[in-house]
Amino acid sequence: MLIGIATITFLLVNAMPGDPVRIMLGPGTDQATIDAVQSRYGLDQPLYERYFNYMAGVAQGDLGNSIHYNGVPVTEKILERLPVTLLLVASSFTLAISMAVPLGAIAARRQNKATDHVSRIIALIGVSTPSFWIGLMLIIVFAYQLNVFPSSGLIMPWAHPSDVPQAANRIEVLGSSLYHLVLPTITLGTLQTAAIMRIQRSSMLEVLNRDYITLAQAYGVSSRTVLRKHALRNAQLPVVTIIGIQLTTALGGAVLTETVFSINGMGTLIITAVESQDYPLIMGVTLFFGVIFVVGVLITDLLYAYLDPRITYGGGDH
Amino acid sequence: MATPPETAEMGDQPVSSSAGEADESIRDLTGWRYTLAQIKRDRTARLGWYIISVVSVVAIVTYVDSQLLNYYIADTFWYHPERDAEGTALLPPVGLENSYGAGTWSHPLGTDQRGRDLLVRIVYGTRIAIQVGVVATGLGVIVGTIIGAVSGYYGGWIDDILQRTVETVYAIPFLILVIAIMSAFGRHLWIAIVGVGIVTVPIFARLIRSEVLKVREEEYIEAAKAIGVKDRHILARHIIPNSFAPVLVQGTLQIGVNILIVAGLSFLGFGVQPPTPSWGQILADSRGYMLPNPWFSIFPGIAILVTVMGFNLLGDGLRDALDPRNNG
Repeated sequence: MLIGIATITFLLVNAMPGDPVRIMLGPGTDQATIDAVQSRYGLDQPLYERYFNYMAGVAQGDLGNSIHYNGVPVTEKILERLPVTLLLVASSFTLAISMAVPLGAIAARRQNKATDHVSRIIALIGVSTPSFWIGLMLIIVFAYQLNVFPSSGLIMPWAHPSDVPQAANRIEVLGSSLYHLVLPTITLGTLQTAAIMRIQRSSMLEVLNRDYITLAQAYGVSSRTVLRKHALRNAQLPVVTIIGIQLTTALGGAVLTETVFSINGMGTLIITAVESQDYPLIMGVTLFFGVIFVVGVLITDLLYAYLDPRITYGGGDH
Repeated sequence: MATPPETAEMGDQPVSSSAGEADESIRDLTGWRYTLAQIKRDRTARLGWYIISVVSVVAIVTYVDSQLLNYYIADTFWYHPERDAEGTALLPPVGLENSYGAGTWSHPLGTDQRGRDLLVRIVYGTRIAIQVGVVATGLGVIVGTIIGAVSGYYGGWIDDILQRTVETVYAIPFLILVIAIMSAFGRHLWIAIVGVGIVTVPIFARLIRSEVLKVREEEYIEAAKAIGVKDRHILARHIIPNSFAPVLVQGTLQIGVNILIVAGLSFLGFGVQPPTPSWGQILADSRGYMLPNPWFSIFPGIAILVTVMGFNLLGDGLRDALDPRNNG
């Protein structure tokens, strides 16, 4: 599949009009310089040759050199930005799962009661709202009007105190990091929360209507125990599926969130790459997004096996 | 969104008491009539239907005015959505005041940074959202149905190749794939439509494939094969129509998702290019003026929210109405 992603992005990127070298060097550069730079990045070779060279490089973990960033290896640039995006996505998923699973379960338990209606309306608004607009609204309210959270930037929790303004030690760096993370996390996490909540509710309802739940209730097992021990775990399979699917949505959403909050992550990196037509960088970033997705699917599969011991992957074919 | 089995048990709810009576009257209906009756009875789905109707009419009128009449209607009776106006930049909505002046009824929602009326820009932005949302989803449904049906029906190596391709497209985040497509082929409206359509294909290809796998084993398909009906015919006449219900539900919901994608694209500057108004692009414009005139950012978002919610409400209603478990 990763070969497929590499091929698709390679073809797409090479269909782009314009010439990254000319964009970088600017107008009025003489032809000899352009030729020299083009041959340095291998852009003077025929398409199929570049394709095989690129694929051979990818197989060895070499994604080529960025043109826009003056020949810095693409992998280096990505590894510099990747933690930022992963932190953002991880924190938004933490928010989403910790909010959505209990809320969805409670909504299902209190079906058609006020709690259920309120949570369904919130979930509906959540899946209908553009995430970047939530970001803009949060900035207007919390950064500009109330002045409680910063409107831009992100600080990594493991950054060195000397690199962080107004932070004397590691604790303060951590605090500053969390402080900067609040608004982007809500921005990116709202859609995930709403989507997971909807699935959690419907999946829970389905499980609660099963015979074995009725049986447990008939035996006099308390409703809290039924909910926690019998229903919740079995209702998690569709939820895990949707979390896996939400991963690509979240990675796409990270592009918007990073733009809104001016965070230097993978999202803003690909925008820069596209604006400057930096072929190797575009291909590299897209490929990395694919890798993250594949890892996500793998984790989903493992979670399946954990939640439902009947599922085994011994046959290799699933 | 209230489903019959749920409501039937809850006799004390106002929604369900009327639903209980209606159950008697629609029990004899079948197929489309049944679904329509269900939708009409479902208050939230009906709200979704009203929203979509209003938005669609607005989209059609603004499409005709912008494409065929060159903004004749808007310019004559209202404001030109694309022409800059002097001295009215960044006014707040009516009744409010900011550093640029006071809001008046002549610009009920205020104005943008070029003095253009915000309401007229939002109204004329509707057509981009609906056009891309509906056409791209339609494209995704058609191509996805063909791929999914062929893949599921024939199986074997055809299935393998098609599924691997579809999975690959699916693995790249939607927004990034569309951005890559748009930067490769140009930032035009129809490329946005095709791009969003392409990222929609995998969703329907997978959906149809799983439906086909279910339907394929039915006896009537075997019977059709036995009397020598061609594969193409079986696919088009029997298998695809039988997979229609989930596609309709997913399609309605997907229009909402695609409107969100288009808004995101325009926000990043990859959608329709200025001065053509689109919701995402108005929001992008507003980013620089969130402090002096926050209303500029608020209204376009509400337009997106309401429209997408309309499709979500109707989609949920359709799901409840078409779910065979609810028909019993």
